[in-house]
Amino acid sequence: MLKFIFKKLLLMIPMLILISIIVFFGLQFTGIDPINFMVSPEVLSANAENIEALRESLGLNDPLLIQYFRWLGNCLKGDLGYSFTGAPIVDTIAVRLPYTLELAGYSLVLSTIIGIGIGIISAIRQNGVIDYLGRVFAVLGQAVPQFLVGIILIEIFSIKLGWFPAANRVSPGAANPFLDSVLHLFLPVLTLTIGMVAVLMRYARNTMLDVLNSDYIKTARSKGIPEWKVYLKHGFRNAMKPVLVIIMFRIPMLIGGSVVIESVFSYPGIGLTMTNAITSGDYPVVLATTLIIAATMLICSFLVDVLNALLDPRVRLGE
Amino acid sequence: MSETKSIKEMNKSSSSSLFRRNVRKFMNNKLALFGLIVVLVITIACIVGAVMGIDYSTPNLPQMKKPPSAEHLFGTDTIGRDLLARVLYGGCYSILVGVFCAVLSSVIGAVLGALAGYFGGRVDKFIVRLSEIFQAFPQLVLVMMLVAILNKRGLGNLLFIFVITGWMTTFRMVRNEFMSLKSETYVKVCEAFGMSKSNIMFKQVLPNVMSPIIVSTTTNVAFFILQEAALSFIGLGVTDATPTWGNILNAAKSLSVVTDQWWIWVFPGLAISLFVLAINFLGDGLRDVLDPKQQ
Amino acid sequence: MKKFLAMLLSAAMTLTMLAACGAPASSGSDASGTPETSGSSETGKTPAASGSDSLQLVLSTTDGSTTDDKVPTPWYNRTLATNMMFRSLFLANSTLTSVKPDLAEYTVSDDSLVYTITMKDGLKWSDGEPLTAEDVVFSIETAQKSATVNAIYTAAFAKIANLAAEGNVITITLSEPYAAMANVLAQFAILPKHCLEGVDPLSIDTDAFWQKPVTSGLYTVDEFKVGNYFTLKPNEHYEGTAPKIQKVTVSFVNDYLTAAQSGIADYLYGNATDLVEAMEKMPNYTATPIDVLFYKYFIFNMKGVDGNENPAMQNVEVRKAVIEAIDRAALATLYPNATILNSGVPNNYEAYNGFEYKYDAATTKANLEKAGYDFEHTFKICYYNNDQTSIDLINTVAYYLQQAGMKVETTLSNDGTTDLFTTRDYDIGFKGKSAFSIDEWYTEYMSTDALFGNIFGGDTAFDASLQKLFAATEEADRNEALKELQALEQEKVYKVPVFTLGNYVFTSDHVKLPEGVEFCNPLYSCDMDFANWEIA
Repeated sequence: MLKFIFKKLLLMIPMLILISIIVFFGLQFTGIDPINFMVSPEVLSANAENIEALRESLGLNDPLLIQYFRWLGNCLKGDLGYSFTGAPIVDTIAVRLPYTLELAGYSLVLSTIIGIGIGIISAIRQNGVIDYLGRVFAVLGQAVPQFLVGIILIEIFSIKLGWFPAANRVSPGAANPFLDSVLHLFLPVLTLTIGMVAVLMRYARNTMLDVLNSDYIKTARSKGIPEWKVYLKHGFRNAMKPVLVIIMFRIPMLIGGSVVIESVFSYPGIGLTMTNAITSGDYPVVLATTLIIAATMLICSFLVDVLNALLDPRVRLGE
Repeated sequence: MSETKSIKEMNKSSSSSLFRRNVRKFMNNKLALFGLIVVLVITIACIVGAVMGIDYSTPNLPQMKKPPSAEHLFGTDTIGRDLLARVLYGGCYSILVGVFCAVLSSVIGAVLGALAGYFGGRVDKFIVRLSEIFQAFPQLVLVMMLVAILNKRGLGNLLFIFVITGWMTTFRMVRNEFMSLKSETYVKVCEAFGMSKSNIMFKQVLPNVMSPIIVSTTTNVAFFILQEAALSFIGLGVTDATPTWGNILNAAKSLSVVTDQWWIWVFPGLAISLFVLAINFLGDGLRDVLDPKQQ
Repeated sequence: MKKFLAMLLSAAMTLTMLAACGAPASSGSDASGTPETSGSSETGKTPAASGSDSLQLVLSTTDGSTTDDKVPTPWYNRTLATNMMFRSLFLANSTLTSVKPDLAEYTVSDDSLVYTITMKDGLKWSDGEPLTAEDVVFSIETAQKSATVNAIYTAAFAKIANLAAEGNVITITLSEPYAAMANVLAQFAILPKHCLEGVDPLSIDTDAFWQKPVTSGLYTVDEFKVGNYFTLKPNEHYEGTAPKIQKVTVSFVNDYLTAAQSGIADYLYGNATDLVEAMEKMPNYTATPIDVLFYKYFIFNMKGVDGNENPAMQNVEVRKAVIEAIDRAALATLYPNATILNSGVPNNYEAYNGFEYKYDAATTKANLEKAGYDFEHTFKICYYNNDQTSIDLINTVAYYLQQAGMKVETTLSNDGTTDLFTTRDYDIGFKGKSAFSIDEWYTEYMSTDALFGNIFGGDTAFDASLQKLFAATEEADRNEALKELQALEQEKVYKVPVFTLGNYVFTSDHVKLPEGVEFCNPLYSCDMDFANWEIA
């Protein structure tokens, strides 16, 4: 098992390199001149020589292969390079990544608790009120586009009611930093959670139902073990394994969702950084953020593999 | 709906009494039936609208931002185009995106999953690596790269990206099922009879995995429709000249539209939500009918 | 039965969701709804409005002019926030056409070639270092080498033949007269030499300096929270009257309207319909219309200096017919304050020559046919503003052209104007320009213009009249030059203005403005008597 884990981890390195190659050269293929993004057209027109000098100093005139290896070499030294706007990318990421982790983390925890909770209650009290309400809510949460949910929440809670701020992560001159974080995080986390809860609830309910209908639960019941014990000890424990896998599977979606949500709430996380970098042609930042997101995805898929291998002995480890 | 038909056909070939029982079961499932009806009604309305050649593109500036009226049932948009026509026309594109991508990515996922799961070893390793790379890639970056390379925010781009980034879930599911089923007795028997590998994979084993594939295809339709809307929202969707639901809904970016011209975003929003809702009901219903554990 | 219940419930929930947003929305448009809207933003219940003792400003991170990790460079666009931090040699009036002394005063020689600028005594930077003529020389020289500077400086500084500082006197000698020099200098922010001396001028706008800049104006940066906001505190070394407002917060936002409605903006500006309409509904904001030269215009993609040309647009009659196929009056209704114009000179100026492009739906097709337009050709439009109104406008333009029988394709480009000549695939580009003066509009016709030279094929026809315009100090000379330029412009039809957009400045009742404050184009700097602004 340890060997399996180690091997999987090692495999991630060539994959990350491959991804970086695809993105790096793919970006070159686009034929977009980053200079055009850095400098306004009016300026371009006026001082062509300075622009040429800038291009040279950014190393944009070197052969691609050299540019790539220069970048890779720096990456290994922990230097992700400079954004075309001049900021060291490591600094940018050091500020933005924690914001996104906060957002995604809270959403994950919150949606897991709510989703699994309601899911289990629905399964136990099948066809009860909570079951129906939960299922309706679940389907609705999945049906309305996330950004629309975000916009509606802003409209209601920030603008009509004025309870929460509509943008950013920190308010100027906040007296209580903790309260300030809560206020800023509430709406984006809620938006992401609504989407996630729906999926988790359905899975938790379905697997719990499967487990409750299984023979060993029936046996346990027939042995006269109290209901709550049956649910908790036998039902919950067995039902949660596939749900865990689903949660892992949802992380990439959470990250994808946070890209959109961050731009709805102008929340200064990694997703917004990436969207802005994409629309402004800031390649070094696109490259770095892509790699970070790719690494997160790879880690999640690695965890899914490990969990799967642990849970289902029939799935060979492939080694 | 092609999915429902294929289920029916499949079931018919296996046993017509089972098929009849399933239909009855499906008919008794009110939510699923509701889903099916809504999906059919919206799809037909959109197609009929498009075939009739409703005018979705003529701007009428003096008539802009008019609330719903007898003349314009859904009101008019920011340059006075009829919103009902746009929502109907947009539905064609959005449903096309959803169905096309869901079906194609399921086919790719199923074939690759079957190959990987059945053969195992190197083939499996290779395909799994491939799927991991695709999964790790942020869709956004791929979309942007294609848009920039082709210099066009076309519908084709989007379909392509969705298909190549959408097959992994089905792939994993099918692969895992195949790995489990590979060691079942009937597969061993088939092998002993000397059946060809493709025969075993696609004719013997795959039908056993068909129901989860169908269910996930159905729900993927909803997923891709939502995804299209999200991409439009961050400005990387289909070009504005094509009225997809996502593009129409884009008007909700402006807060003043959200507050003062509710019809501009409520109707396309409702169209997306209702359709996705119905698809999900339908998917759930199919799961209930097709899942052997529930029978 | 319960499934029916669920269906009902789901329907009900959908309705509630819609009602939740629909109800306040519909009431917002009638009179009773309006006070309610203001109530929530006014009372400061909004948590973000906690800094009620401070003036709240916002910077947009989506219009491409700034990123959320630094103070935007004052050398590109001037914003209220940077105007409060960086001063220029002179202070402009609200029309940006005359100046009074600020850091310095000047005299100009009779031949308009030599400017003698005398610095005020006792000037200091916010870190206590003296602000001297050296800083001025450094700033001008650096701006000439820098990449991200506004074209008005580049154009003006190109005329400087000699620049020298002696004591507190700077002498600027021009190679040829440049009438707008003092007005341009009134915009040009002086930066501290002692902080930026070693920095590469090419990337000076992105230096770490901009997170904690040393300033010359009323305020200096207090706290900088990357991605969120920065705050300003009074500059203790400022030699003039200290400002009444003790704290300014500047938040980075992606939408001004949201910022205003959630109560974190006391001052904002814009020209988009949705913003203006929504802001005018908020009774706690005062709207001030501002007459600015914000051109929205079409550029025909002609040919490069390399001779690589776009065959479809070479015929001037075709270009005219295309423009006359578009109902510009109808397009103008998309904006709250658009004024149609037919040349770079607005119709109400004395210099306007009276020419008009006329739209007549009945004749457009015939005109195109007469001009020999190939209707099989796909007419490609490239535009690069991503806001809803621009998209709407382009879609409408496409519609008009299709009505005239043309095949049209529109493309949103990330790449601005350069796409026109790098691919030479588009027939026409649509862009906007917030011009400092009419001169800036006509400067684009200069044959040596690196950008437009590639679009208009380096046509030298305009050059002589342009020199006349730059040199004109008398109103009559100026008007004559402008008339010549208009005639040329309408003869060549390289670029055609659709309209100019009037801007609006909105101020909330959270601030009290002193008597007689006049706002100028919000992308430039002028005397707004800021020291006397107060928090209400």
